Amino acid sequence: MAHPFLKKDDDLDEEDEYSPFLGIEKSAVLQEARVFNDPQLDSRRCSQAIIKLLYLLNQGETFTKIEATDVFFSVTKLFQSKDSGLRRLVYLMIKELSPCADEVIIVTSSLMKDMNSKIDMYRANAIRVLCRITDGTLLTQIERYLKQAIVDKNPVVASAALVSGIHILQSNPEIVRRWSNEVQEAIQSRAALVQFHALSLLHQIKQNDRLAINKLVTSLTKGVVRSPLAQCLLIRYASQAAQESSFNSQTGDRPFYDFLEACLRHKADMVTFEAARAITELSGVTNRELTPAITVLQLFLNSSKPVLRFAAIRTLNKVAMTHPLSISGCNIDMESLISDQNRSIATLAITTLLKTGNESSIDRLMKQITNFMSDIADEFKIVVVEAIRSLCLKFPLKYRSLMNFLSSILREEGGFEYKKAIVDSIVILIRDIPDAKENGLFHLCEFIEDCEFTYLSTQILHFLGNEGPKTSDPSKYIRYIYNRVVLENATVRAGAVSALAKFGAIVDSLKPRIFTLLKRCLFDSDDEVRDRATLYLNMLEGDVVGETGNDVKEFLFGSLNVPLANLESSLQNYVPSEESFDIHSVSKEVKSQTISEKKSQSKKANPLGAPSASLATHVDAYERLLSSIPEFSNFGLLFKSSDPVELTEAETEYAVNVVKHIYDEHIVFQYNCTNTISEQLLEDVSVVVDTSEAEEFSELLSKPLKSLHYDSPGQTFVAFEKPQGVSSTGNFSNTLKFIVKEVDPSTGESDEGVEDEYQLEDVEVTAADYMKKIGVSNFKNAWESIGDDCERIDEYGLGVRDSLKEAVSAVIDILGMQPCEGTEAVSNNSRSHTCLLSGVFIGNVKVLVRLSFGIDGPKQVAMKLAVRSEAEAVSDAIHEIVASG
Amino acid sequence: MLLAVLFSNNDGNILVERFHGVPAEERLHWRSFLVKLGADNLKGAKNEELFVASHKSVYIVYTMIGDVCVYVVGKDEYDELALAEVIFVITTSVKDVCGKPPTERLFLDKYGRICLCLDEIVWKGMLENTEKERIKRLIRLKPPTEA
Repeated sequence: MAHPFLKKDDDLDEEDEYSPFLGIEKSAVLQEARVFNDPQLDSRRCSQAIIKLLYLLNQGETFTKIEATDVFFSVTKLFQSKDSGLRRLVYLMIKELSPCADEVIIVTSSLMKDMNSKIDMYRANAIRVLCRITDGTLLTQIERYLKQAIVDKNPVVASAALVSGIHILQSNPEIVRRWSNEVQEAIQSRAALVQFHALSLLHQIKQNDRLAINKLVTSLTKGVVRSPLAQCLLIRYASQAAQESSFNSQTGDRPFYDFLEACLRHKADMVTFEAARAITELSGVTNRELTPAITVLQLFLNSSKPVLRFAAIRTLNKVAMTHPLSISGCNIDMESLISDQNRSIATLAITTLLKTGNESSIDRLMKQITNFMSDIADEFKIVVVEAIRSLCLKFPLKYRSLMNFLSSILREEGGFEYKKAIVDSIVILIRDIPDAKENGLFHLCEFIEDCEFTYLSTQILHFLGNEGPKTSDPSKYIRYIYNRVVLENATVRAGAVSALAKFGAIVDSLKPRIFTLLKRCLFDSDDEVRDRATLYLNMLEGDVVGETGNDVKEFLFGSLNVPLANLESSLQNYVPSEESFDIHSVSKEVKSQTISEKKSQSKKANPLGAPSASLATHVDAYERLLSSIPEFSNFGLLFKSSDPVELTEAETEYAVNVVKHIYDEHIVFQYNCTNTISEQLLEDVSVVVDTSEAEEFSELLSKPLKSLHYDSPGQTFVAFEKPQGVSSTGNFSNTLKFIVKEVDPSTGESDEGVEDEYQLEDVEVTAADYMKKIGVSNFKNAWESIGDDCERIDEYGLGVRDSLKEAVSAVIDILGMQPCEGTEAVSNNSRSHTCLLSGVFIGNVKVLVRLSFGIDGPKQVAMKLAVRSEAEAVSDAIHEIVASG
Repeated sequence: MLLAVLFSNNDGNILVERFHGVPAEERLHWRSFLVKLGADNLKGAKNEELFVASHKSVYIVYTMIGDVCVYVVGKDEYDELALAEVIFVITTSVKDVCGKPPTERLFLDKYGRICLCLDEIVWKGMLENTEKERIKRLIRLKPPTEA
C-alpha cells in the first residue's frame, strides 16, 4: 500500500489532497487480508484490511466467487477476537460479502452463538446478519430466538428482529405471520423506533385482512404513538382505511377524518404534512374537508426549509388538478416561490399557478414567469411551455399575451427539444384558436429568420405554405420565406421553394412575383432546390399546357397516397436504369407496428390526451389506401379505422390481422396477411367470411390478393353493407383461402399449386367500433355547453365484480370512449368512483358520459349512467349499448 | 424503500455508494444522474442546505457537508420529508465521526466508521436508527444509554 493510513497527529492539511486509499489495488488488499488467518490476531491491522475491502466494494469493485469465498472464510476466523470494534466490522463485512460468496452458511454456528450471547449488541447484530444469509429451513430453527428478540427489553435487539421480519416477510411470509402476537406486543413498546418498526411489520402481516387493519388503526389512533415516523405510517394506514370504508355522504362523516384533522396540529412537521396530504388525497374530498389541510400547506409554502416548501407545492400542484378554486387563496404565496432558489420548487409553483390562475391574473403571472425562465434548465422550461399551452386553450381570449410570451421565449437561447415544444404549442394554438392565426404565423416567420435547427425551419416553412395563403394578406410572408432561399442551407432552401410554390398556386395576384422568385432559384447550387424550382415553375405555368389549377393544388397540397416508409424503401431499392421510377409501384400497405415500436410510442404519449401525430398519419394512410380502391370510392367518408386485431397466433405459417374500417352504411375488413414460409408462394388469397352471427350485415364484395410472397405483406378486403346510422354488431368467422405453390429457393421457380385454406380467429364488430375516442380539455365546460336537451340518465346493476377498477374499465371498453381528466384511474379498494368519458359517435355526433359507480360489501356494483349528446337517438343508443353489454 | 445513499466528492467521484432494490444495470444511470444534479445545484451551496427534487415517482434529497456531497433517493413512504429525516441522521453522524464537516481526506480517514454508521442507519432500504448518540454507541457495540 503506497499510502498507509495516517496517524492522528499527522498534519492533515499538508496531506489534504492525498486519499488514504490512493493507489489501492484489489490484489494487494486481498494479500493484506491474509492477516485474518494469523494465530495472534492484530485487531488494528485486521480492521484496516476490512475497511480497505469495504472501500473496494463501495467503489463497485467486484470479487470473483473464489476471492469472495476466501475472504469470507478468513473473516469468520475473526470471531475469535474479543475486540468490539473489530467484531462490528466483521458483521458488516459478512453482510457485504454474503451475496457474492459461496458456503456462507458456514458462519451460522458462530452467529447462533452470538444470537444467544449475553451481550445485547452481539445479539442484535447477529440477528441482522443471520437474516441476511438465512434460508427457509434455517429460519425455522432460529424462529424461536427471533420471536423472543422481538419482545426483548433492549430496543436495539427488538428493532433488529422486527426489521429482519420485514425483510423475511418477502421470502417466507408464512413464518413471519406466526409472529403477530409478539409484534402486537412490540407496538406497545415505550421505545419510539421499536413502535415504528413493529407497526410497519404488523401492517404488512395483516395487509389482506381489512377488518384487522381497521381494528389496529382504530386502537392506535386512540392510543399514544411516540415516534413521528410511526405517526406518519399510522396516518397513511388511516387514510387507506378511510378510502376503503364507506363514506356517509348524508351526515358528512368520514371515518378517521377527525384523526387526520387532529394530526394537522401535531408538533412534528413531518406528521402535519402527512396528514395534510392524506386529506387532499381522500376520494371525493369536499371543500370543507380540504380547508384545514390547505391552510397547513400554505404555511409550509413560507417555510425556511426547502424540503417543506417542495412537499407543500408538490401536493398543491396535485390538488390544483381537481380543486383549483380551493387553493386560489395560496396564489400570493405561490407567486413568491417563483423566485425560489430551488428550481424544482419554482417550476412547480408556476405550473400550479397556471392551473389555479383566472383570466384576470394571467398578465401579471406572465410578467413574473418571464424573469424566471432565463435561469432554469430546458427540461423545466418545457414543463412551463406545456402548462402555458393548456392555459391558452382554457382561456382563448388571452391568446395575445400568451402567444407573445411564447414568441419572446422562442427568440431566447435554448436546445432543440425546448424550441420544438414552443413551436408545437404555437402551431396548436393557431389550429385551435382562429383569431391567433395571423399573430402566430408572424411569430413563426420571425423565428425562422434566426433558427439554428433545420428540422424546425422546414416544418415551419411547410406550415406557412399551407396556412399563409389562406390569410388576409399572404404577401407579407413571402419576404420571410424568400430570405430562407437566400440565407439557408440546402434542406431549408428546398422547403422554402415548396412553400413559395404553394403561395403561387393559391393566390393568383402573387403568381407573377412568385415566378420571378422561383426563377432565381433555378441557379441554386443544390440539385434538389433547382429540381423543385423547375418542377414548380412548370406546374404553375401548367395551365398553358393543359394542367388545370386543381391538379396543381392537388399536387402541392395533396399527399403522395403512399406511406412514406414504403416510398423510402422503394426508392432505396430502385436501381437507376432506362425505366423511370414509378410511384404506382410503391406498396400502399400500412405495415403494422412491431411491439418495440408500439412500446416506444406509448412512452411518448401525448400529454394533452389528443391523438398523437403518428396515429393521425396512420389513419390518413388508411384513408388514402381505401380511397385508392375504386370499389370503395362510393362509401363516403371513412368514420373510423380500428387498431389491427390479430387473427392468428404468433409464429404460425401465415400471420393475419384485420383492421375494421367503419363507414356510415358500410364496413370494410382489411386483412393484412404475411406468408412466413420461404418455400411457398400464395396466390388468389382471399378471406371467406361467414356472417350467420351478424345478421344485419350483408357481404357486398371481396377483393382478393393476387399473390403473397414470402415475408412481403399484402392485403385482401371484404366489404359489407349495414343499415345506415345504426350501430349494428355481430360476430364474423373467417377462413383464409388461397392456392399454395411450392417455390424452389435456388431458382425461384414454383409448381402448379393446390388450393388450400386456413382457419382464422373470429372477428367481432362491437358498439365501440362506432365510437371515436376524442377527448375534451375541460369536461365540465363541455358538459355544460352541450346542455341537457338530449340528456338520458339511468341506473344499472353490474353484478358482482372483483373490484371497482375492473367494473370501470369494462364499461370504458364497452363504450370505446376517451376517459377525461384521468378519471379512468380508480384508487385501490375505493368504494365509489366517477368516470368522465367523451367521444364522437357515428354520424359525427359528440357524446359525453358521466358514470358514477358504487360497490357494496358483497362486491355488487351499481352504476348511474348520464349521457349528454347532440342527438336524442344517440343518447338512447349509448344506454342500449350499456344495457346489452 | 430507500433506494440509494450516495456520497461523492466535489468532482463527482463516488466515495460511498449503497443501492437497495435498484437493478445493477440502472445503478450507473442513477450515479451519473445524481452527480449531475449535484454539479448543477450544489456549487456554492451553504453547508448542509437541503436540496430536493423528484424524478418520476422517486424523490431525491441532497446536500453538501464540508467537501462531501450526500444524496439519498427514496420512493413510496420514503418521500421528501422522510428523506430529509434520513439525510439529517446521516449528516449528523458523519459530522460526529469526523468531529466537523469533513474534508474529503478526513472523510476517507474515517471511512470504516462512516460505513458502520450507514449500516446502522439504513439496512436494506429501511431506516433503522435515527439518533446520533445511539448510533455512536452502536458502532462500537455499546448498548444505547436508554436500554
